[in-house]
Amino acid sequence: MYKFFLYCMLVILYLGLAKTLSPSELGVHYLQNEKGFAKLSDKENSSFILIDTHVTGFLIKTYYQKYRVISDYENIEDLIVRTSKEFARRNMENIGLSLFRRADGREEFNPLPPGSLYIGDLEYGYWKKNRDGKMEWRFNKSFKNLPNYLGWGEFRPDEEFYKEMKLRTNAGQPYYGPNNEFGTKGKVTRAAFPHFFREDRMKKVELKTLLIEYLKENF
Amino acid sequence: MAEIFDRLLIRILLAGFVCLMIYLYRYAHVIFYPSVKRQVLKKINPAENPADTLHLFSRVVGISIIFSSITLNETSGFFLSLFHFATWGAVAIALYLISLYIIESVVFYNFDYTDEILKRKNMCYAFISFCHAVVIAYLFKTVMVEAENSIVILLVLWLYMLVIVGISVKYYTLISRLSFNRLMIQKNLSLCFSYAGFSLGAGLVIASCFDQEHYDITVYVIQVLLKTILSLIIFPLFKKGLVRIFPVKVGDGHENNIDTERQSIGYGIYEGCLFVSGAILTTMIVNRIQFGTIYPFF
Repeated sequence: MYKFFLYCMLVILYLGLAKTLSPSELGVHYLQNEKGFAKLSDKENSSFILIDTHVTGFLIKTYYQKYRVISDYENIEDLIVRTSKEFARRNMENIGLSLFRRADGREEFNPLPPGSLYIGDLEYGYWKKNRDGKMEWRFNKSFKNLPNYLGWGEFRPDEEFYKEMKLRTNAGQPYYGPNNEFGTKGKVTRAAFPHFFREDRMKKVELKTLLIEYLKENF
Repeated sequence: MAEIFDRLLIRILLAGFVCLMIYLYRYAHVIFYPSVKRQVLKKINPAENPADTLHLFSRVVGISIIFSSITLNETSGFFLSLFHFATWGAVAIALYLISLYIIESVVFYNFDYTDEILKRKNMCYAFISFCHAVVIAYLFKTVMVEAENSIVILLVLWLYMLVIVGISVKYYTLISRLSFNRLMIQKNLSLCFSYAGFSLGAGLVIASCFDQEHYDITVYVIQVLLKTILSLIIFPLFKKGLVRIFPVKVGDGHENNIDTERQSIGYGIYEGCLFVSGAILTTMIVNRIQFGTIYPFF
């Protein structure tokens, strides 16, 4: 009994020390749910765009998400966080979307296409009529690189998009674009973040195929 | 031809220099064991006291192991290299002897060298001392390689290694069924084999914990500590597992018979082998599993 108690204490000591001291545990924040975004950045006008998600572990899974944080005036950084299973699963379809926005002290948590924080804000851009006669959002010259960081590609939001986005925001619902251009299944997102949609990451390999490939490679 | 001959000459000179340093060790041995002065400084008679011979030459084996980790870089000039070799050799031997003295003081706190080796010619004591000498030399060699010619790092790691070894030798009483003090008094060889397996296993585990890449001394020390604790968690699993796989019959149920059979050499060999194989498997579990990182994906 004494030895068993000692062994349990040793296991607890190891877990505690590993958690406190291990370099792999340092520097990665934990994001329980969307409420935790506010703690990750205290900057005004910040937007968190989910650009990658990854699961590690055999029996006990650890979930990671990678965000592109755009704050203030074109201050861009990539941030990796550990997250809960529930939050990671809930956002599996939201790659490329902005999951959190803060502007003028107001915080929004519903998933919206990236850049929704800036659309309609005349400090960042203006509406311009396109060839079809529709009003299209254009960024000012000083923010000309924002569409690249946001992963828009050739996509330019119009007034319809803006109105729908506002409606969804007020209702607290997610929005994936008029033709579902954004999100994990969206064309624009797939073109903007090819790293996530790489073929070898997407394909689900069967055990039999894996075994045959292994035998071919090693024997 | 001249160059080849020159290199051969350097090797011969270095061999002579190492012999000179080992000769000097004879006097250093007397500092730690003053009672053995007459035997060590005159001609040794192995037949007279085999225990003393084993005890003395275990140190020589240890020093040889340590010398094997020092490199002589001739490109920076022969005399400078020789000076470096001599300095590091002297520092290493001094630290090695101090660590041996400390560890033996911990393990043999109930026994006296003069009584056990010179008077009682206790082979069990000498053999365990031999195990200490070899294992600590091996560990010191690992620490020296990790120190990479920095005396400060060597001192830090040496102290650290000493603490871990000091704690690990106390671990023996927890995992062995043999009574150390009683069997030592009885000069029982079962204890020799069991302890030899234990010390060799502990040496392998600790050396594997120290043997890892390091860029930052703080992170390195933390990693070594974590690996050591992890080894302490894994090792009992293997020991229990091996005992279950190869159960042994000890005695016929009577307490006296069980005790007698445990004192047989066979039981000592059994325990020693369990310790060594458990330790080797522990090093595999602790060091050979690559979990990868999240970075290839992100």
